Amino acid sequence: MKTWRRLAIPYLIWGSFMLLLPMLLIVFYSVIQPGNDVATFRFSLSSYVRFFTDRDFLLILWRSLKIAIETTVLCLLIGYPVAYWISRCSQKTQNLMVLIITLPMWINMLVRTYAWIGILSEGGPLSIVLGWFGFHNVDLLYTEAAVLIGMVYNFLPYMILQIHSSLTKMDPSLIEAASDLGASPFQTFWRVVFPLSIPGVISGITLVFLPAISAFFIPKLLGGGGWFLIGNVIENQFITVGEWNFGSAISVIMAMVMMLLMTLVRKADRKASKEEKA
Amino acid sequence: MENEKTLIQFRNIQKSFDDQIILKGINLDINQNEFVTLLGPSGCGKTTLLRILGGFLSQDGGEVYIDGKEISSLPPYKRELNTVFQKYALFPNMNVYENIAFGLRIKKVSNDIIEQKVMRMLRLIGLEGYEKREITQLSGGQQQRVAIARALVNEPDVLLLDEPLGALDLKLRKEMQYELKRIQQEVGITFIFVTHDQEEALTMSDKIVVMKEGEIQQVGTPVEIYNEPVNAYVARFIGESNILPGIMVDDELVRFDEQDFKCVDKGFKKDQPVDIVIRPEDIDIVPAGKGKLNGTVESVLFKGMLYEVIVETVPGTHVTVNMHITSETANQKDDGHIHISGNSFYLDVDDMEGIQDKDLIARADAQAWNDETDEQLSIESVETNLEKKIGTYEITFTTVGGLSITKTIQVIDQQTVRDEKRNEGVSAFNFFKSKDEIQESVALDTDLKTWANAQGWRLNNEDQGIPLDVTYDFDPETITEGVYPVTFWTKGREFKIHTTDYVKEGSRVGLAFGPEDIHVMEKEGYTS
Amino acid sequence: MKKKRPVGALITTLIMIFFYVPIVFMIIFSFNSSKSLTNFTGFSLKWYEQMFASHDMMNSLYVTIVVAVLATVISTIIGTITAIGLRYSKKLVRAYVTQINDLPMMNPDIVTAIGLMLLFITFRIERGFATLLLAHIAFCIPYVMLSVIPKLRQLDPNLADAAMDLGATPFQTLTKVIVPEIMPGIVSGALIAFTMSFDDFIISYFATGQGVKNLSIMVYTMAKRVNPSINAISTLLVLLITIILLVVNIWPVIREKIEKKRQADPNYLPSPHKHTARNWSIFAAAAVAVSCILFFRPAAGTQEFAGQTLHLYLPGEYISDEMLAEFENKTGSKVVVDNFDSNEQMYIKIANGDSFDVLIPSDYMIQRLIGEDLLMKLDPEKVDEALVQIDDQILDLPYDPQNQYSVPYFWGTVGIVYDKNKVDLADLEKDGWGIFADEKYKGDIYLYDSERDQFMAALKNLGYSMNTSDPKELAAAYDWLVNIVQTMEPEIVTDEIIDNMANGRKALGMIYSGDATYVMQENENMGYYLPKEGTNVWVDAMCIPKNAQNVDLAYAFINYVAGYEAQMMNSTYVGYTAANKEVEDELASTDFEGINSYVPRTGYDLDETFEYNPDSRKTIADYWSRVKVVASNSR
Repeated sequence: MKTWRRLAIPYLIWGSFMLLLPMLLIVFYSVIQPGNDVATFRFSLSSYVRFFTDRDFLLILWRSLKIAIETTVLCLLIGYPVAYWISRCSQKTQNLMVLIITLPMWINMLVRTYAWIGILSEGGPLSIVLGWFGFHNVDLLYTEAAVLIGMVYNFLPYMILQIHSSLTKMDPSLIEAASDLGASPFQTFWRVVFPLSIPGVISGITLVFLPAISAFFIPKLLGGGGWFLIGNVIENQFITVGEWNFGSAISVIMAMVMMLLMTLVRKADRKASKEEKA
Repeated sequence: MENEKTLIQFRNIQKSFDDQIILKGINLDINQNEFVTLLGPSGCGKTTLLRILGGFLSQDGGEVYIDGKEISSLPPYKRELNTVFQKYALFPNMNVYENIAFGLRIKKVSNDIIEQKVMRMLRLIGLEGYEKREITQLSGGQQQRVAIARALVNEPDVLLLDEPLGALDLKLRKEMQYELKRIQQEVGITFIFVTHDQEEALTMSDKIVVMKEGEIQQVGTPVEIYNEPVNAYVARFIGESNILPGIMVDDELVRFDEQDFKCVDKGFKKDQPVDIVIRPEDIDIVPAGKGKLNGTVESVLFKGMLYEVIVETVPGTHVTVNMHITSETANQKDDGHIHISGNSFYLDVDDMEGIQDKDLIARADAQAWNDETDEQLSIESVETNLEKKIGTYEITFTTVGGLSITKTIQVIDQQTVRDEKRNEGVSAFNFFKSKDEIQESVALDTDLKTWANAQGWRLNNEDQGIPLDVTYDFDPETITEGVYPVTFWTKGREFKIHTTDYVKEGSRVGLAFGPEDIHVMEKEGYTS
Repeated sequence: MKKKRPVGALITTLIMIFFYVPIVFMIIFSFNSSKSLTNFTGFSLKWYEQMFASHDMMNSLYVTIVVAVLATVISTIIGTITAIGLRYSKKLVRAYVTQINDLPMMNPDIVTAIGLMLLFITFRIERGFATLLLAHIAFCIPYVMLSVIPKLRQLDPNLADAAMDLGATPFQTLTKVIVPEIMPGIVSGALIAFTMSFDDFIISYFATGQGVKNLSIMVYTMAKRVNPSINAISTLLVLLITIILLVVNIWPVIREKIEKKRQADPNYLPSPHKHTARNWSIFAAAAVAVSCILFFRPAAGTQEFAGQTLHLYLPGEYISDEMLAEFENKTGSKVVVDNFDSNEQMYIKIANGDSFDVLIPSDYMIQRLIGEDLLMKLDPEKVDEALVQIDDQILDLPYDPQNQYSVPYFWGTVGIVYDKNKVDLADLEKDGWGIFADEKYKGDIYLYDSERDQFMAALKNLGYSMNTSDPKELAAAYDWLVNIVQTMEPEIVTDEIIDNMANGRKALGMIYSGDATYVMQENENMGYYLPKEGTNVWVDAMCIPKNAQNVDLAYAFINYVAGYEAQMMNSTYVGYTAANKEVEDELASTDFEGINSYVPRTGYDLDETFEYNPDSRKTIADYWSRVKVVASNSR
């Protein structure tokens, strides 16, 4: 079937142009002097220097990381029990639950985030509910909590679905085997189920962390104009300020930081599983 | 067995899934240090019973006792027994050592004792030096051994094995059978083994429990089960058998195929219908007239150690029809490159209910094609004056471009051959074919059956078909126009015989067996 | 061994509620009779009417669906073909494709998005519908391949050999054996692609241009200003998706029943057709038909500009849909509207060569565009009729002497909107702009996210000209602002201020006069104050960029908008002061009577109009971006 090889050739060209070249361009723009382009480039690291010498930009990067990590941890803490519970249900219930979780994802992300504005603002349903518990006139809109809620709301389904699929892929006889060998339900979970669901957890973390660190419309909608994350800085550089070199440099930095963190997570997992064995 | 202490008792265990009854009240005792096999086809409930014992399922009714204690309410992790799972269920996140140590770690056994015990287990299963291996690096047989070791290291009173050899290839399976038996004898605990493979059961077990549809059929040693099956089901499941219906004429006298035979069984009622089993190796082939039965050798298969001979003692039901070989041109017409062909055919007046065009096309074997492009064309229309009355009718098939061919349909009241005693009916039609069609046929026997519409069925149940054989004495290669008889027939009474002596296919032989070779069994479902 | 797990069940239930609360909320408030997002004032369908009347919304819906359908079909076909090709390719090729496919999946969307944007800009590909579609195809294909490749791997490697052994050509083998076998993978790939495309915002946002926008972009650009029509359109989508899902889930059951019925029928002949193939071709045909209908929707009329399109670029919520519809009816043309958040954002697009027919920027920006030779000189004869109707006070201003390039659209001032119950007028009179630094109102103020205006307030309060280019004065203004964001806990907002002040959420904020008009109409406790230090008197005007594609239509538009009828509709709807003198006077004494923000302060010495100065612009832009970063960091 060597003739079929040719079928892949158009995509090689397309992919190089539409997927690889854009990434190279970002790197390229990040290392040339402002105001230059492909034809008249002059190498310069000034964009990077500018970022790393400015305390405020570093602070924003730090805060973006912090909130992305908080989002990821929250999603994991909430998503795991939910995914676990669903995976213990009958096949029919599982299908239904998965459908229920996927359904909102079909509705525009911005629209769903936008709906939170009304819920979170003073006099909205949340402040009324909190009022019953004695917290009056709570206004969460344009706070860090609001951004966090928006992020968890948008990205939690990915975490649940990833963990759920890794849990259901697991051979149920492994759980029976552990129980058979004397492990209590808790021990079974901790020693067998959880370690085996790690791949799902990691891809869940990736799917949450990735959009969380680069999010810019969630902070803009729920955090207000005075609530910048690294994604907003990038957007601002490209859309309002028009300094693509600096914007490109920030993107490269963000991508690097993210890759570094994901590698760390994977390494930690490998190390943990090795320790378990030793 | 020397040690007859009862360890496990099942009392009236019932279980159903989604309204489907899996276990219909199982009562079973299992002794200490026994190797017990639960044997039966898939869906018989053997695995369900094992899982109830293991604690992975709870029964709908009945009790399970171990050492006299009711254990139904205990979760699996509090039961003093361990399981080897079908696909081993080894923990993929742990290596060999950690898998085996798992149960001990759970019990918080100290590390040095764990190491001692695990190493002993590795020696027992012959996998010393494998402790650091990952599970995925092991072969199927090695995984199997690790699974056994992982269970045995906990020193359970009972080891449950759920079709553990199913995933292995034949050679490994044989090896593991001996291995398992050896391990069981060495550790001296009760093994409960589930399988659908009778050979495994016979090789390893002290006691076999044959199950069918949620009920126990027979419990006994392999020898008992083999030699004295309680019914045709058990006989069929264990070993190869000739099973035939008969009637118990008197104590030690049984009748089958209209002859009386001496046997050793007694205690049946007079004229009670029974099943009779005669094992193939218990029959001897003797010259015709010298045995108890006579017959024709149908086939001889060489099976390595011995020959498997099939002898037909009573012929089946036959029907013979005429095949008319006609000239080419009458059956085929062409219009340049377009060709159409079709045959006249017979039709049974009783078969005309709801007959459709596609049936008529099939019966006439009407075809159209283009010889240039080698392309099959469809038959676009079928016109006929066919009525539901005996007589001769015309039928015209037309293909693309209006080319048509007209043939005749003979509607007759087809006689069938009925054999009330054998409960068999056979019918077939005369048919018309051309020489070419005979010669071009890839599978002539099957085509003859189609062309003659030959059918066999049970008289008491028309939906139950009987496969037919076909014989003819023309040579397809040299056949010319004319009329040829073709015979369709059902199988008669056949005996399977295992012998070391070669006999010729088609020869007449006698069959000899003694009274002790005839095992009389209750009919399944018969209540006296 | 199934046990009830009450804790898990409880958490799961709560999470399900969490997932659906916003959706239910959205549905409920789509039927609200008022604009409020927190108060349900009564049942009404007016947001649905508005939604169907709004070209913008309907257009973005069409774009979303057309792009999603086209991107799904194209990426499914390419993805499947490539996946099959890769199966038989060399290892190196496979590794390479896997790597580049990972790029959009392993990078944040924003990185992919700006990469594509840079690609289009570098190769001078004008951004619009085509680039949007290309971008969607680009990020959809990897997902299609991701779900097709595993299916191919499961395939018996001898399958293709067997088919060819039996005489099938390679093409027949593909279409009759391989593709049907991997169909489940293709279908799920197509579904993922559709969802991704349908829901995408970030990549679309950077890849599009010329006012082509999908639903996400529309929501993003207008979400600052509460418009419950968004709820209506979302509710409609929820309904649509629910119906589709129901049909998809129920259809097999129905078909089974029909099949059974047919088989019970003695006359039934099993048809030799392949159901799946036929269903798929029907589906594909339907998809293409739908996209064609959606795409070539506007039917050309007989009017002068029938079938032509006007690309209009202006701030969000700044034009009356009714007026636009009227213009379209009169001329037979179609208006495609694109919105910007700020003049600076607009400038970047124009400077990058994005093409529009009419722009509505502010005074100083017009000056800049003229200076950089980006605007077309207007033919005096063609705009004379328009200009005579405009208020003299806003003609012939320094940014465009003799109005050679622009025709005013709206005008107004920048001032302070305040809650009369919370703010003492005496404080305002005493402090002026300085009230933003008054500890009394800590945590109770809005700054406006516009570098010019916020610096204007600072400079005015410090007693400088707002057009200063003295670095020391600018630095002082920067310090003034930094001090405020560090000590006063302000919220930096844009159009959100309008609804938030109408709802009385904070005590005071900086606001444009037109927005203040709206706020005061909605809430009688609100007042509008112009500080004594002076303020910005601004004019937004219509102009035609040099690269406009439909100049005649642009002139027609300018003339129409400057006229009485159009200005009436527009000013009533938006609340900004009409440039048309007759309309201005009439509305000041009718609809907006007693609302002091509608009639701008004129003739006050300290008031100024912005002038463009490239040096100070850059300094201010930089300073302001820093102020926001500092603000983010001080919370």
